[in-house]
Amino acid sequence: MAQEQAILDRPGTLGVPRSLSDRPVLVRALVHIGRFFRYKPLGGVGVVIIGLCVFAAIFAEAVDRYDPEDIFKATNPAYDPELAEKALVDPTIRLQYPPEKFEKSDLPIRFGGPSSAHWLGTDGLGRDLYSRIVHGSRTALYVGLGAALIATISGTIVGLASAYFGGFADFFIQRIVDTLQAFPPLVLLLLFGQVVANPTLTVNTIALGILGTASSARVVRSAVLAVREEVYVLAARTIGASDLRIMLRHIFPNITAPIIVTFTSSIGIYILVEATLAFLGLGDPTRVSWGKMVEEGRRNGPSNPWMAFIVGMALTFVVLGFNLAGDALRDVLDPRLRGRGGRAGF
Amino acid sequence: MRTYILRRVVVNIPVIWLVATLVFFATSVLPGDFVAQRIAAQDPTSTDPALRQAQIDAVRKDLGLDKPVVQRYFIYLGNLLRGDFGISYQTRESALQGMKEGLPYSLQLALMSLVISILTSIPIGIISAIRQDSLIDYVLRVFAILVLAMPNFWIATMALLYVVRWKLWDVPISSAPLLWEDPGASMRLFIIPAVVGGLASGAGVMRLLRSQMLEVLRQDYIRTAWAKGLRERVIIIRHALKNALVPVVTVLGLSFAGLLSGNVVFENLFAIPGVGRRILAAIVARDVPVVQAFVLVIATFIVFVNLAIDLLYGVLDPRIRYS
Repeated sequence: MAQEQAILDRPGTLGVPRSLSDRPVLVRALVHIGRFFRYKPLGGVGVVIIGLCVFAAIFAEAVDRYDPEDIFKATNPAYDPELAEKALVDPTIRLQYPPEKFEKSDLPIRFGGPSSAHWLGTDGLGRDLYSRIVHGSRTALYVGLGAALIATISGTIVGLASAYFGGFADFFIQRIVDTLQAFPPLVLLLLFGQVVANPTLTVNTIALGILGTASSARVVRSAVLAVREEVYVLAARTIGASDLRIMLRHIFPNITAPIIVTFTSSIGIYILVEATLAFLGLGDPTRVSWGKMVEEGRRNGPSNPWMAFIVGMALTFVVLGFNLAGDALRDVLDPRLRGRGGRAGF
Repeated sequence: MRTYILRRVVVNIPVIWLVATLVFFATSVLPGDFVAQRIAAQDPTSTDPALRQAQIDAVRKDLGLDKPVVQRYFIYLGNLLRGDFGISYQTRESALQGMKEGLPYSLQLALMSLVISILTSIPIGIISAIRQDSLIDYVLRVFAILVLAMPNFWIATMALLYVVRWKLWDVPISSAPLLWEDPGASMRLFIIPAVVGGLASGAGVMRLLRSQMLEVLRQDYIRTAWAKGLRERVIIIRHALKNALVPVVTVLGLSFAGLLSGNVVFENLFAIPGVGRRILAAIVARDVPVVQAFVLVIATFIVFVNLAIDLLYGVLDPRIRYS
């Protein structure tokens, strides 16, 4: 109170903008971003991780050190020239020693450890793991953002219509949403993926988007149900605004917060599901996918788990970034948590 | 109460019907045909296309696949109403047979995960809430947020690789014993997927419980309870926890229903012949009746678990009345 009074009593500060809303849009945006980083340091970390991932995906050709499909070879360390020479005379020697002792030509560096030439080592075919992880970020972002976008847009349309019209339409739409949610999710994805003979990345993205529509429609519906009874909606209807206009101009702007929150917090989940599908061998076989790389590392067995470990770390890192940013954004946008310093969330 | 349950059951009937319809048409547009696949596999040397086509037609007629899709759909619905789920193309047994055989494995995995999830998430959530912003709270929250970001299949893979690498114990991956058949071996096999699955769902529950507890602990009746001089344990457990538990029960129930419908990833990784592994195999083999039966049973199950969760609300919070 005293503080507010002090501001009111301040001598006229003509020409000096007192409030943030007097300043240009760009300054305002910068100030808001600065505040976000200051009050939500973990959310800031998330945004930085997302930035890194997006940068790696867009400029993959510049960031990678090699082509992700290049196979690297090294001289065979087990090659024994003396033995090979003897074998030319006496072929039975070949049977007594392991075959790699006679292989003169260079062999691919299979599951090589980290080195200065290959920062994160090589995969099972001798390809540079760092470059493949960088290129894998494209797949992850494509599916994550694409599916979240499809789910949010269709979920918003479905949820808005369902809650606004109510009655029989609402009942009917909610039963369809129930149906989508009653399906075991992975089974629905498998069915979608199998309907087209070879699941491409886009098919998997659309399937994930359809699956996600159900839950985002639920969120939007409950938000609309709260807004629908507001006085300004009644006022708009009184002056004869059409249904479409009320939905788009009066209800939609008031439910953007939950929509943005569902969008950002679902991206990480979609990235995880795509990796799971690829891990099960149901992803797009032509794309570099982190899930498929973990599976490849797993097959290498317990003697050298490095590849499975490092690829999983990359996946965890990116999902963590999206989760942290999504949580911080929820704290900022969710009015129930406002004014508490956002301490309830994380 | 009784009318409420009745109404919910009636509302669920169209949902189950929609699931049946969706899965029927999805499986009938699957490319690749079980019959053609099977005949080609049985007799790869035959080169006479006319003879092979005749064989395929005969088998299709035998399985009732020669009729148009719409007619088959109504036959399918009629059979369902009579409790006939069809016959597996592969084994020629009832399509539900695989479900019956796989369910004990999935049930055991689901129950073990649920126990671990409850045992970790509820104490951790309570501690984190009553010691808000302390060191232990930060450590537990970071743990939860990390577990949520790590892919399940990756943690399970790494755990399996390191258990084998360090020879911690012998994982009986080829035999898949149940708990009541061979408790020791069963525990050695199931413990990794159960702990990983339990922690993953527990991390979400912990975060939810923490924020719910924080909300409840600010309520007036908690202050009253403190003012009355009740012991801390009574306040936390009987007054706060019980009121914070309603949304937690939803999440736990849904994750249990999801686990019971088969965890495709873990069952494949650990070669557990549960529901998830069988349904994946059935989809790949185009064994349509089995896919339809599994999906229908699982969907029915999830729908009724949802009903059970709603009824449980009334027990936890007597203010919620159903009419």
